[in-house]
Amino acid sequence: MTTLSHRLRKIRAHDLGQFLPVLASLLVIWTFFALTEPAFLSARNLYFLLMQSAVVATLAAGVTVVLLIGDIDLSIAAVAGVGAAILAVLVTNLGVPAYLAVAAALAAGVVLGFAQGWVIAYVGIPSFVVTLAGLLGFQGLMLKILGIHGALNMRDPAIRGLTTVTLPNWLGWALALALIAFVALVLFRLNHHRRQRGLERMEAAPLLARIALFAALVLAAVATLNAYRGVPLLMVILGAVLALLWWVTTATPFGRHLFAIGGNPESARRVGIPVRRIRVAAFSIVGLMAAIGGIVGASRYASVSFNAFAGGPLLLEAIGAAVVGGTSLFGGHGSVWNAILGALVIGSLGNGLDLSGASAADKLMFSGVILLLAVSLDALSRGGAGASR
Amino acid sequence: MTDDRRSSADDASTASAHLRIEGVHKSFGAVRALRGADLEVRRGEVMGLVGDNGAGKSTLMKVIAGVDRPDRGRLLLDGREIAVPSPAAAAALGFQTVFQDLALCENLDVTANLFLGHEQTARWARCLPPPLRPLSGLDMEERSRRAVAQLNLRTLSSVRAKVGALSGGQRQAVAIARAVRTESTVVLLDEPTAALGIAQTSQVLDVVRQLRENRHAVIYVSHNLRDVFAVCDRISVLRHGARVGVWDTDASAPDEIVIAMMHGRDDPPSAVAA
Repeated sequence: MTTLSHRLRKIRAHDLGQFLPVLASLLVIWTFFALTEPAFLSARNLYFLLMQSAVVATLAAGVTVVLLIGDIDLSIAAVAGVGAAILAVLVTNLGVPAYLAVAAALAAGVVLGFAQGWVIAYVGIPSFVVTLAGLLGFQGLMLKILGIHGALNMRDPAIRGLTTVTLPNWLGWALALALIAFVALVLFRLNHHRRQRGLERMEAAPLLARIALFAALVLAAVATLNAYRGVPLLMVILGAVLALLWWVTTATPFGRHLFAIGGNPESARRVGIPVRRIRVAAFSIVGLMAAIGGIVGASRYASVSFNAFAGGPLLLEAIGAAVVGGTSLFGGHGSVWNAILGALVIGSLGNGLDLSGASAADKLMFSGVILLLAVSLDALSRGGAGASR
Repeated sequence: MTDDRRSSADDASTASAHLRIEGVHKSFGAVRALRGADLEVRRGEVMGLVGDNGAGKSTLMKVIAGVDRPDRGRLLLDGREIAVPSPAAAAALGFQTVFQDLALCENLDVTANLFLGHEQTARWARCLPPPLRPLSGLDMEERSRRAVAQLNLRTLSSVRAKVGALSGGQRQAVAIARAVRTESTVVLLDEPTAALGIAQTSQVLDVVRQLRENRHAVIYVSHNLRDVFAVCDRISVLRHGARVGVWDTDASAPDEIVIAMMHGRDDPPSAVAA
């Protein structure tokens, strides 16, 4: 057991190591369904798989921000529901222009997240309790906003377009090539600067290998999507939002402080990091991401109903995706990309089991096993059986 | 009064003191933790501070670190009287304290720990709010490599290693490097070798010697007389909240110090450094 956890820790220590467990489980799931369900790897199915995973990925990336500081947010699905309900009432019932309604939904998400964060940081109640209260309260709020019917249709073309528009094939290719060129340029420039300053740097071969791998993945994705309808506009928008979130959490003092608070809150306080303000900011970001998820969901389902958001499995899928992706529940480890990969695992599992006609019971049990495996990997790579912390 | 224990024979040596503490009193309710304690340290000197449990070492440290405010007494920096009302004020005066628990984040690398709370950001990003400015990762890495090199910490292979993967001695060294990263002149070390094995202890002692080479004034608090004799230039013994005396390490034996710690001494020390 110790050698296993030791080996896992060594893998984790590598800079790409934190992605290996989730990539491995993704590979296993895809191989399994590719062999048993011929339709699984079709362009059409992969397109829908991506679209199905979008809401979960958005919420999972959001909740990662509070998982990093060792907190949890159980209200994300309910906040997404409130955001979607506000959007639907404003657009469908009151005829407010789509962009204003979107702004109102986003603002509502930030306000709800901020309020919970403030109570957690300044009143000093554990986030589990506060956001559990938020979960219940915001479920009620969503029902209240939706009114007695409990569901509203979403026909607004601008909002629907968010998830129905796809880019022309040539534009998809152009964006992919631009992205690859950008990433390659950034990596080469960084390595060049490191060499100039005499800092440790990557050898040319592994650097090229990484860029080649990244290029292959992006091009394969675009080829697949173009074989069906093309690259969805939603992927470009969410990709940009998530890339921005990744940048904020890894390349700014704010992001550095998130990790520090998750690693050792007492040290963070002592070196002068404003722990409370950062916690409030983190919960506000989760609220914003939840509202974005709610808008995407409203657009995709063409309706807003209680069960699709606050009352359904969305909450557990989102937190499960973050954890399956490799973000620690104990704080200080994880990233936005892990959440996205985790969302793909959860999405692939659901999609594949649907294709094979599995019952709801089997799906639930399967998901439970996968989640348990992922959390076990997390615990083992952190020293096993709570040996260190 | 216990003030009288203060030895006037020390005065000759304080002319060049960088930091000097005179007659500091501190009570917590009925407990009189410090009763006229004195201490001084020069630049380029390691001053040992020893005493039995409850002698007032920690309280004296906290007074210098700005954690506790003295009830009475003076602190002088290069002969000028100063006040240290808060840890931030201590840092501004150039006092850095490495407490026993180190306060490092194990999930971050050495560079991130060295700059924690004082991250450098890109100059061109002035338009952004400070917490959202891009980090200057390469600048920080370069500076932390220099800081580590300055401490002669040869076993630390990479400043990109996570602190959780370092040995106890390396962590202590990183905590010390963080303390001296800023423009500090006085470094207080609280039991820096308490939890370490032999090899790691000698590594930390090398780092302390390096601080002396770099002209820091080091106050070294420890229970371990072997380490104190190995690294300190002079030793101040504290007993019942006041200083018993100051010994020159080269001219005294551990037994004398132990006796002074346990029983104090009535006559002024004979081996005071000139």
